[in-house]
Amino acid sequence: MSEKYGNLIPTGKLLDGRPRTILFDATKCIGCRQCVHACKDWHDHPRTSVYEFSSSNWIQMDPPVLEGLSPLWARNSCMHCEYPMCAAVCPVEAITKYDEGPVVIDPVKCIGCEYCIYACPWGVISKDEVTQKASKCTMCAPRVSEDKSPFCVVACPVGALDFGLEEEITAKAHARASEVGGETYGENEAGGTQVVMVLKERKEAYGLKFILPEKYPAHKIPLGLMLKDLFTPRCGVSGKLRALYLAIVHPKRLVYRYWPRRASKDFQ
Amino acid sequence: MISGSGLFPARRVTRLPGGYMGRILRVDLTRGITKDENLPEEPVLRKFIGGQALALYILLKELSREATPYGPENKVVMMTGPITGTGLTPGGTKVTAVYLSPLTEYTLGRGASSGFWAVYLKAAGYDGIIIEGASARPVYLFINEGGAELRDASRVWGKGARATEDLLRQEVGLKDAKVMSIGPAGENLVRAAMLCNDYNHNAAHSAGAVFGSKKLKAIVVYGTQRPPLHDKERLIEAGLRWRKTLVVRNEDEKKTAGHAEDLHALPNLNYRSSLIEDHARGFEQNRITLRPCFQCQRLCPWDVEIGEGPKKGTIGHYNAGSEWLDTFFNLGVKGNEVLYLAERINDLGIECSHFSCGAAVAFEAWEKGLIGPADTDGLRFEWGNVDTIDRLLDMAAKREGKWGELLAEGPTQVAAAIGGDAPKWVVHTKKGTPALHDWRPHFGQMLREIVASGGMKPQGGGSAKPPPDLAYREKWGPLDRDDPTGWPWSQVLSEQYRQFCGLTGGCWFAQMHMKPDGLKSVSDSLSATTGWDFDLDEGMVAGHRSMILQSIFGTQRGWVADHDWQQVGQRFLEPIPDGKFKGFTIGKWIPQMVFDYYRLSGRHERTGRPFMDTLQNLGLEEFKEWAQLD
Repeated sequence: MSEKYGNLIPTGKLLDGRPRTILFDATKCIGCRQCVHACKDWHDHPRTSVYEFSSSNWIQMDPPVLEGLSPLWARNSCMHCEYPMCAAVCPVEAITKYDEGPVVIDPVKCIGCEYCIYACPWGVISKDEVTQKASKCTMCAPRVSEDKSPFCVVACPVGALDFGLEEEITAKAHARASEVGGETYGENEAGGTQVVMVLKERKEAYGLKFILPEKYPAHKIPLGLMLKDLFTPRCGVSGKLRALYLAIVHPKRLVYRYWPRRASKDFQ
Repeated sequence: MISGSGLFPARRVTRLPGGYMGRILRVDLTRGITKDENLPEEPVLRKFIGGQALALYILLKELSREATPYGPENKVVMMTGPITGTGLTPGGTKVTAVYLSPLTEYTLGRGASSGFWAVYLKAAGYDGIIIEGASARPVYLFINEGGAELRDASRVWGKGARATEDLLRQEVGLKDAKVMSIGPAGENLVRAAMLCNDYNHNAAHSAGAVFGSKKLKAIVVYGTQRPPLHDKERLIEAGLRWRKTLVVRNEDEKKTAGHAEDLHALPNLNYRSSLIEDHARGFEQNRITLRPCFQCQRLCPWDVEIGEGPKKGTIGHYNAGSEWLDTFFNLGVKGNEVLYLAERINDLGIECSHFSCGAAVAFEAWEKGLIGPADTDGLRFEWGNVDTIDRLLDMAAKREGKWGELLAEGPTQVAAAIGGDAPKWVVHTKKGTPALHDWRPHFGQMLREIVASGGMKPQGGGSAKPPPDLAYREKWGPLDRDDPTGWPWSQVLSEQYRQFCGLTGGCWFAQMHMKPDGLKSVSDSLSATTGWDFDLDEGMVAGHRSMILQSIFGTQRGWVADHDWQQVGQRFLEPIPDGKFKGFTIGKWIPQMVFDYYRLSGRHERTGRPFMDTLQNLGLEEFKEWAQLD
């Protein structure tokens, strides 16, 4: 796998190395938010608001209205990008892309710099107010490593979520999209993701973002934030030293972090 | 505030089993104060578990014998169960409220509801609430992360349940807060006013009237806590097994005449015909959205957007059961106007059968010439007259005029005011009304409606065969639908296992299909949650205990088992006039079936009092004062 990524991001293997994909079939979703609560239940997250992303709410269903009170529902959560910009910009290698699909933040390594939060094209990463660590969906990586489906998928009562090998799920998504006369979302966005959605209306109707099909899409980490991380005590001395060491070891990553447009162009 | 019962320890000496939050909120509305109580010690919890039995045990300890339903001394005890809100089982959504019933005025009132509210009560840190006293002005209770306060409700007083829910959520500024409220019916003491929560859910049987008498408009709950679990992995495994036993509902069946189709009978024109015709006309054009309860995959609750006719575009919110359909079918309405009226009655907060059985007697009296326009202020009490019914709903909820007052009181009061033969046309049991379906062709359901262990609202009826999970101890069936033999015992058993499921905090709709592993997965879920080693035998005993407590409550206030069959509306026991079951009635086997039921459940067949050995077997010796001694 490292060949594919040219050592740009940390990679790993959980099980058999075969990529998996989550299918979200918006044509079946009833907006019950059982996936949202199941995520909290599996991770023992407190029952915080289901309407906004937080370190204890990793899935957000749009629109933010009561369960069932909308004819269309979109799932917002980590797309587990094939070329995850969050991992590319992380200065301390806290984010790993696993061969089986999951993109996972290691809270022990995370120094709370927030680069990933800004780098994510979908805006689904939060910062824990207490621990100051970045936080998002893990695709239930420990379950995937046991060849089990993510818990949100298990919970869905209407079969709107599915999980399996990438090629099988993609084929299912295409078949379903042509059955309902709709389209898919997530296959090409940001160079491809491990979540594919079946939509019966245009993606704008679901409030889904338009993301170019380029790998490592250009991010907008504020310059002020980068300067603050470089020149203030933020993120701690050990965090800064680790970031410095890794910058020396993997200098190419700096391009992704600080000159995203150029890097993005290079990689296509 | 009464805390002298010794039930609530100042400091626990036994472990708090998994699943419980450990606290009950006591609310004194007279003084406007709240207080936390510790949950009872573990042996009490294991005996009564939660839900109806634990709530009723508290009520029996605390409620004065002189209490009247609308007096400030009446109390409402609301309890969840240990599996409520774990998120890892189907049906873990239940809260049950108990109180002295305003309908019968001497038996237990019990209202239970699902949805999300109970889950968030636990998330706020409480297993239950004890409501006592009465406020001088309208208030609502706001429970937020372990804190509780009474707030002014004048802004929402008079509003329907939907608007109240929306406005209070705005007022507390928490989009995730859950609201249980009363509509105008509760405020105006309609005897069968409901509690309404989470749009689609209602606790029937007059808890709303007791709230209204206490000027308590609503309880808003919010919190982020989750119940501690003894063995999460085992609970997930049991919950997934439980899920496999569900019969999942779907959109298509919401386009039919509902449960009447299963019963093969539908009440028309005050139960004078049971034929199913074009009642569901136009339903096929509706947009249906399933709105399941918290983490339950049975998918009972649903919304409609009416797709045709004069009420096109109306949005309605319903739960499983469909008695609100039969409610208006019974008044001669068909098609989508039924769904419109059902939404109205739920928003006003009137139990649908209470209204339907009362209005149907008045309409029949109009048809037969006992009353005319001079008696009705010009309203035409004609079958199927949607405008009249719409108006009567408002009048009943607000006790406006003579008919509003009468419909608020109940069907027997409507009939008495009309006079003549009208009292013979009333469908009722002990002045309350059955869940509105035409149950008459079915032994199990009829016996359930009539007895209900001396209460008013039953918990499911006996089936023709024992549930597969009880095959190890129950070797009988299938029972004959035309022969009463075996049905009383089936009823005793069904009440036990349904009670048991409710005590855990589970919804019995989530185990009613009686598939293999249906009951076992419930008791395994309870064990995994609490850390107790619960088996089905212990579950059945717990359910039995709950039944006996229910009738002891009535016994203390003058109920005897004879009332169960003596106070039944004649129409309810008449032979079915037409259709598949024409001529059938269980009436000829009454009262013998009732006698058998009480005797088989360890109670005297005439008084309904438990025998001493029943109390001993159930560990309820403390109630020996109420035992049948001879």
